[in-house]
Amino acid sequence: MLEMFEYDFMQRAFVAGLFIAILASISGTFIVLKRYSLMSETLAHSALVGVAVGLVAGYNPLWMAVIVAIASAWLIEYLRSTFSLYSDAILSIILSGSLALAVTIVSLGGAFNNSLFSYLFGSILSVSNEDVYTIMFFGTVSLALLLIFSKELFFISYDEEVAQTSGVRVKLLNFLLVTIVAIIIALSIRVVGTLLIGALMVIPTASALQYRVGFRNTLLISLFFALFSVIFGMSISFYFSMPSGATIVLSVIGFFILSLIINKK
Amino acid sequence: MSLKFKIPIFDVKNLSFNVRGVDILSHISLEIFHGEYIAIIGPNGGGKTTLIRMLLGLEEPSTGEVRLFGKKLKNFKEWHKIGFVPQRASLVDENFPATVEDIVKMGRIANRGLFASFSKDDAKIIDDAMRKMDIIDLKKKMVGTLSGGQRQRVMIARALASSPEILILDEPNTGVDMVSQQRFYKLLATLNKKENITIIFITHDIGVIADDIGRLFTINQKATICNNPKETLSCEDMSTLYGIEAHLLHNHKHEH
Repeated sequence: MLEMFEYDFMQRAFVAGLFIAILASISGTFIVLKRYSLMSETLAHSALVGVAVGLVAGYNPLWMAVIVAIASAWLIEYLRSTFSLYSDAILSIILSGSLALAVTIVSLGGAFNNSLFSYLFGSILSVSNEDVYTIMFFGTVSLALLLIFSKELFFISYDEEVAQTSGVRVKLLNFLLVTIVAIIIALSIRVVGTLLIGALMVIPTASALQYRVGFRNTLLISLFFALFSVIFGMSISFYFSMPSGATIVLSVIGFFILSLIINKK
Repeated sequence: MSLKFKIPIFDVKNLSFNVRGVDILSHISLEIFHGEYIAIIGPNGGGKTTLIRMLLGLEEPSTGEVRLFGKKLKNFKEWHKIGFVPQRASLVDENFPATVEDIVKMGRIANRGLFASFSKDDAKIIDDAMRKMDIIDLKKKMVGTLSGGQRQRVMIARALASSPEILILDEPNTGVDMVSQQRFYKLLATLNKKENITIIFITHDIGVIADDIGRLFTINQKATICNNPKETLSCEDMSTLYGIEAHLLHNHKHEH
């Protein structure tokens, strides 16, 4: 089993993957509790616009993805707070709009090829040293912010208005959370891919919620599921040459079904 | 000593709220002082909740101004002095992953510095709030599994955990049985008298708490403030405010 670690690319993929599992599951807990699950899907598709620009214009696709995902997250929050639109409708519009834009950019630039496929579904082969450093840098900053504000974010997920009247800076923290989520999603596309990262954010928490335990334990269970899904998924990806995003998501769905069965009323 | 010489906790001047040209509240002016127990009554849709929301800065008034401890709302920072229990308090999302302790701890967040974790003193205050509300034995239970009355007590314990000077409750009795309600009213009276916590309580159950409250505000687009609530609770006045409902209220009062 351990022979896969003899390859440099596998070591890089594992470092990146484990970082992403930690980030996706912790931020995902707040996203799920705030009923923002569709947000992660939408931002992932927006990140694809950044990838497209990067591929066509020759910039680092990961950095471009981070920038476009953050811009998209802010646009969504702005639309949500300024216009009386249903928030799932806003998300749906941005999601399909982003995908359309990304495909158009890629077609115009003639970059419709295998490298795009790896951004859609993730590839353990594609993680470069530079990617690992980018993930470690942004990942550490994001994780630190999430942990510092975890109590406040938990309060906001529970009841925004009561949190506001208790002196929690709700608007600022909502803004911070969507920004962090945008960054995490953009960082994840190498390993998990844009079409599948939403699952790694939402499903570990959805599984953990089945156990009906307090906040801290829900976070820990969710983290455990995400880590093991990434380990299983990447190993399967290595031995059977399958896109890592797909195998990771199937693993996490396995944990979800298991949790449903164990906790059946 | 007259109350007028002190700075009011809430100083509301000429407050109006309208939505697309329809007046929900018009020209409300009132003052609330430290240590008062005020009940707010009025028909559904009369603007009680809107008033409270404006007092707390959750809703922008169309005209007028709210001052809290002498400060404009946007400059007010000491939110830990306020404990707010909203209308939906007893209706928690059953799947929300929080123990009773998790929820009560939330109340303490505003008192703590940004990077500081909860201190021993915080833990003691959190435990005290749970003990006061008689939920200390439920500490490790999930809120989703509690009864309506128990949930209500959790919400109030959360509000008490910030060591508030003022407690604002917006009809927190939805889904709560009669026995729990009685206990709850007693507790509010104790908090007001023994701990000198100012209480603003929106309720329909005015007959039951008539002996406890100091002043009564009736809100139905306009505010009527009466300083002697028991006198105002005559059937005629109630009829003007509530219409037919007054008879129900009146009977209700005699049952207890």
